Amino acid sequence: MRPSFPRWKAYACALPTLLIPGLSHLCLGRKGRAAAFFAIVGATYAIGLHLSGALFPFDAPNWLYRLGGVAQAGLGLLYFGGRLAGWGALRPEAVTDVMFGYGSTFLVAAGLMNMLLIMDAFDIAVGRKE
Amino acid sequence: MLRDHFFSLLAFSALTALFFATLNHRDRRGFLLSVAKTLAWMVLGSLAFAYLMFWTGP
Repeated sequence: MRPSFPRWKAYACALPTLLIPGLSHLCLGRKGRAAAFFAIVGATYAIGLHLSGALFPFDAPNWLYRLGGVAQAGLGLLYFGGRLAGWGALRPEAVTDVMFGYGSTFLVAAGLMNMLLIMDAFDIAVGRKE
Repeated sequence: MLRDHFFSLLAFSALTALFFATLNHRDRRGFLLSVAKTLAWMVLGSLAFAYLMFWTGP
């Protein structure tokens, strides 16, 4: 039941989460967890955007925003696709929105959760975790 | 306004608690216990911090 793949294969199993949250766990046969992670990270991302959160660019004027951008990049396709689509743009009127801080925190948390999912999938793939 | 803040706090705490419980627990009892503990700490801690800021503010 416990898979133990070679290291290159473990990386290949861990990275699909960057395309869709939970996809790595689905590849490893954890269907229930994959669905739960997809729902949780997806909901965190959607609520963050709904609350006027920003997807911070790497060249933001504030260092804290740049750091937030690094955390949000953990979302992979959702971050880069969202930025390309113009979602969560860092506009002055968005920054002054009363829910901006909450929304951005949701988006940063979603990125960090996705990074943890990558590491979790890697641990499962190399046999460190059930 | 205050209700929006509270619901955001509650939603964030619930999602985070669910995430970590799903990540770390396979059995139902451990899962529920983890959700309850994380949720309680996050909500009560956030409220305590908010009141602290309110009372010590200008």
